[in-house]
Amino acid sequence: MSKPTEETPLPAPSEWLGTTKEIEDAHTSATSRRRFLFKMAIGLNAVVGAILAVPIVGFLLGPAMKKEGAEDKWIALGAVDSFPIGETRLAEYVNPITSPSDGDTAKTVAWVRHADDGTFQVFAINCAHLGCPVRWFEQSKLFLCPCHGGAYYADGSRASGPPERGLFEYLHRIEGGNLMVRAGQLPTLSTQACAGKAPLVGIAAQPSTPGLLAIQAPAAAPPERS
Amino acid sequence: MKDLKQRGLRIFQWFEKRTGLLKPLEEMARHPTPSSAASWWYVFGSAAMVLLIMQVMTGILLALVYSPSASNAYASLQFINHNLRLGWFLRAMHGWGSDFMIAIVLIHMMQVFLFGAYKYPRELTWIAGVFLLLLTLGMAFTGQVLRFDQDAYWGLGIGASVTSRIPFIGAPMVHLLLGGPIIGGATLSRFFALHVFLIPALLLAFVGLHLLMVLRLGINEWPMPGRLVRKSDYDRNYVALTKSTGVPFVPDAAWKDAVFAAVILLAVMACAFFFGPFGPGGQPDPTIIQTVPRPDFFFLWLYAVLAFLPPEMETPALLIAPVAIVGGLLLLPLIAGEGEKHWSRRPVAVLMVTLIAVTLGTFTHLGLHTPWSPAMDSWSSDPVPASFVEHRTPLERRGALLLQQKQCRNCHSIGGVGGRRGPALDAVATEMTGDQIVRQILQGGGNMPAYGKALSPEETTAITQYLRTLRGPGLRPAADASQGLQPQNASHPVDSTKGASGAP
Amino acid sequence: MSGTTPTTPRIALVLAGCMMLVLAGCRAPGKPGPAEPRPDRVMEFAKLYKQNCAACHGEEGKRGLAVSLSNPVYIAIAGKEAVLNATAKGGPGKLMPAFAKSYGGTLTDAQIEVLADGIVRHWGQPQLLAGKNPPSYAATLAGDAAAGNAAYTAYCTRCHAEEAIDKTHIAGPITDANYLALISDQGLRTAILSGRPEEGMPDWRGIAPRPLTDRQVTDIVAWLASLRKTPASPNTASSKEKSHE
Repeated sequence: MSKPTEETPLPAPSEWLGTTKEIEDAHTSATSRRRFLFKMAIGLNAVVGAILAVPIVGFLLGPAMKKEGAEDKWIALGAVDSFPIGETRLAEYVNPITSPSDGDTAKTVAWVRHADDGTFQVFAINCAHLGCPVRWFEQSKLFLCPCHGGAYYADGSRASGPPERGLFEYLHRIEGGNLMVRAGQLPTLSTQACAGKAPLVGIAAQPSTPGLLAIQAPAAAPPERS
Repeated sequence: MKDLKQRGLRIFQWFEKRTGLLKPLEEMARHPTPSSAASWWYVFGSAAMVLLIMQVMTGILLALVYSPSASNAYASLQFINHNLRLGWFLRAMHGWGSDFMIAIVLIHMMQVFLFGAYKYPRELTWIAGVFLLLLTLGMAFTGQVLRFDQDAYWGLGIGASVTSRIPFIGAPMVHLLLGGPIIGGATLSRFFALHVFLIPALLLAFVGLHLLMVLRLGINEWPMPGRLVRKSDYDRNYVALTKSTGVPFVPDAAWKDAVFAAVILLAVMACAFFFGPFGPGGQPDPTIIQTVPRPDFFFLWLYAVLAFLPPEMETPALLIAPVAIVGGLLLLPLIAGEGEKHWSRRPVAVLMVTLIAVTLGTFTHLGLHTPWSPAMDSWSSDPVPASFVEHRTPLERRGALLLQQKQCRNCHSIGGVGGRRGPALDAVATEMTGDQIVRQILQGGGNMPAYGKALSPEETTAITQYLRTLRGPGLRPAADASQGLQPQNASHPVDSTKGASGAP
Repeated sequence: MSGTTPTTPRIALVLAGCMMLVLAGCRAPGKPGPAEPRPDRVMEFAKLYKQNCAACHGEEGKRGLAVSLSNPVYIAIAGKEAVLNATAKGGPGKLMPAFAKSYGGTLTDAQIEVLADGIVRHWGQPQLLAGKNPPSYAATLAGDAAAGNAAYTAYCTRCHAEEAIDKTHIAGPITDANYLALISDQGLRTAILSGRPEEGMPDWRGIAPRPLTDRQVTDIVAWLASLRKTPASPNTASSKEKSHE
C-alpha cells in the first residue's frame, strides 16, 4: 500500500461552481426555453403527483369510505330456546367481517334479554359512555360498567352515571328458531347498530332519555310502593 | 502516543474533507452560552433527548421479536417476558423510559415556561416543543396499544368512543382510527405503523428543528427580574451578555447535562430492575368481560376527568378542550412574546403552573383510586365484617345477605371494604330515617339507580331493617322531626333495640 | 498515581460484571411471574372461593351470612351433589345465585366442580354421621303444620322469640312473614338439620332433648311455610321459581 499524498482542503462550492446568476447570464439565449421546460416539468410532476395521490389517499381513507352500515350483516346468535325467558344472557359471535390477523378480537359478545313477555332485546357489550364492557347483574337487574360506573336497567335504559343514553341495541329477528342480530361494527355513538334509526350525534337534544331503543320500555322504575 | 494522535488527526481530516460536517459539529459543541445558563435547571431538554435515544434503541430491540398482529401480539409479549433472556428487562426499560420521558418533557416545559424562555426570539422553539409534547403523548398512547392486552383493547374502545363524538364525520373517523369496523388486526398494525414509523419520524424531525433553533438562537439566559424582553434590543443584549459571560457549551455546561442524563438512565434501569415491565394484563379477548380497563399512568387524569364531566358537557368538553389547550400553548409565545421573563414578576404564570400541576395531580390521584368505578366483584368476594352482623335478628341478617346479593356492596362500602361510588353505609341510619332509606333504594337518585323493579317488598323490608341497625357507636338513629309531634305513629315499626353497629 | 489508574477500570469492570450477573439471574425483583390465566381457566379452589363465595359464606367458609360451608354436619347431610347443584343452578335458599355459565353465571362446569369438590374436601368429614341416621337433606314426607307448630313452640322458641328464654342465645324471631318470604323450605330445613355452630345453633340432634325426627323437621318447616303470605307478591326477583326447586 503506497503512502497517500497529503490532501488539501476543497474550496467552497461557490468558488468553483459560480453563482446562479453567473450561470444564468452565461445562457441568456436559452433561459426562457429552459425556464419553460422547468415549469413544464413541475407541472408534469404535479399531474403525476395528483394521479399518485388517488391510490395513496384512497388506500389510506379506505376504512372511512365504507357506507354507513355496509359492514352490518345478519348473524345467528343461537337457538331461541337457548335464551331462557326472563333472563339476560351473554351471547358470543364472530364478527361478519374479519381479517386474517384478528385472532381472538374477531369474536364479539352481546347481551341477549329474553323478556318475560317473550320479546327479545340484544344489547351491545359496549357502554354508551366510552365503550367499556358492561356486566349484567341478575340480582340487581342492572348493567354496570367497570370504567366510570355507568348503570343501565334491564331494558337497556340509562339508570345512572356518565352515559347520556341507554345501551346500544342491535336489530334482531327470529329466523327458523334462531335469534339473528344485525351487527358488524364496534358500536359507538356514531357507529351504532341502532335498530334502524338515525345515529344520535347531537346529545344535547335528549340528555336523560333512554336513547334509541327499538322497543321503548317504560323508563326508570317508578316506586312500587310508598 | 504522538503517532496515534497524528493518525487520529489524519482520519479526522479525511472525513472532514468528504463530509464537511465535523468542523461545524465541533463549533456547535463549543458554542458560547451565557454562564448563567450553565445551570442544573437547564438539563431537562437534553435528558429528554437521551431518553428518546434510549427508547429508539430498546424499541428497535423489541421490534425484533414483537409480532404486530392481533392474533400473535399477546403471545409474543409473553414470549419476550418469559422465554427471551432479559426480554422482560428490555420491555421494562422501554415502558419505564416512556414514563420518564413524559415526566421529563413536562418538567422541561414547565421550566421553560417559568423562565420565560419561550419569549422572543425563541417562539418557534416553544411551538416545536408543543408538537414534541403531543408526539411524545402520541407515542405513549400508541405504545400502550402495542402492549396488546385487555387494557389496550378497551383503551382502543375508549379512543373510538371519544372519536365517535366528532360531529358529522364521527363514523368515518372511528373506522379510520380502527382500520376497519371493529378493533382487530388492522387496528393493531396501524398503531404499530404509527408507533414505529410515523410518529418517531416526526419526533426526530421536530427534535432536529428544536435543537437547530436552540443552537441558532442560543440558550436562554438566566432571567433577571426587571430585565424585559424587547424585540428591538434583545438580540444585541444577548450577544453582549454572551460575549461578556459566555462559556463554551462543551464542556462548561454540558457536563451537567451528561451527569443528569446518566442519573436518569440509571433511574430507568433501576425502575425496570425493581418494578419490572408493565403487563401485559389479561388476553385481549373481547369475550372476557371480567375486566376493569385502566389507562396508563399519564392518561389517568383524563380517565378521571371523563368520570366527572356531566353527561351533557361531555361531547363539547371532549371536542373543544383539546383544541383550546393546544391552541393556547401554540399561541402563547406569539401573544406573550415580549416583556418580563422572571417568575417572581409573573404571578399569573406561576399561578397557572401551580393550578395545572395541582389539577393534574389531583385527577391522577383520583385516577389511581377510581372511587367512581364500582368494585365489580365486591358483592361476591367481600364479606360484611362480622361486627356489622353480630346481634342482628334473622330478618336483619337476611337484609345483610341481600345487601351482598343485590350487589349493593359494589358501590357502597361497609367497614371500609367495597365500592366507593356511593357513600359508605357504616352509619347510614344516623344520616337517614327508615323512610328515607326506603325511598332512596326504590327510587334511586343522586347517581343511584332505582331498585324498585329489582326488589320485592319483603326484600326491601329486610334490607331497610338491616340498614337501620347501622349507626356509629353511641349515635342515635336519624329521626323525622315531625314524628315526635305525634305520640304513636303506626306506620313506623318500632326499631328493634339493637346496640350500635360495631361495638356489641 | 500509577497504582490508582488501573484500578478504576477494574472496579468498573467488576461492577458491570455484577450488574450483568444480577440482570441475567432470576433474582431481579421486577422479573415477571407466570402470566395470569384467563378467568375461565382459573382452577385454584382458594381463588375461586374468594372471588365468588366469600362474600356470603364467609372467609374460609366461616361466619358468613348464608349457610356455613365449613360446618361438617351441613356437608355430610347435603353431600357433594347438592353443593354442586346449588353452586351451578342457584338456590336452594332463594338468595343463592346460579354460577354456572349455562345458568347465566360466569363459571365453567369445571370450575363449579372445583368449588364443590373443594368445599367437600376442605370442610367435610367423611365419616362424621356414619350410623347417626340423619334425616335426608331434601324433604320426602308431607308436612303437618299443626304438629309443626307444637314442635316449634316446644323446641325453637327457647331462642327464636322476641323474649327468648335462653338468654345466651337470643336469635330473634323467625316467624316474621318478611323473613320467611326470603328463605325457601329447603333453606329452613337445611338450617334445622345442620344448625349454625358459629352462632350457637345446634344441629338437629341438639335442638330437642332427643334428636329431631325427619317427621318433626318436616312439620316445623311446614308450619313456618304456612306463615308466609300467600301468594308471594308477583313481579319480584325471588318469586321466580328456579327449575329445580
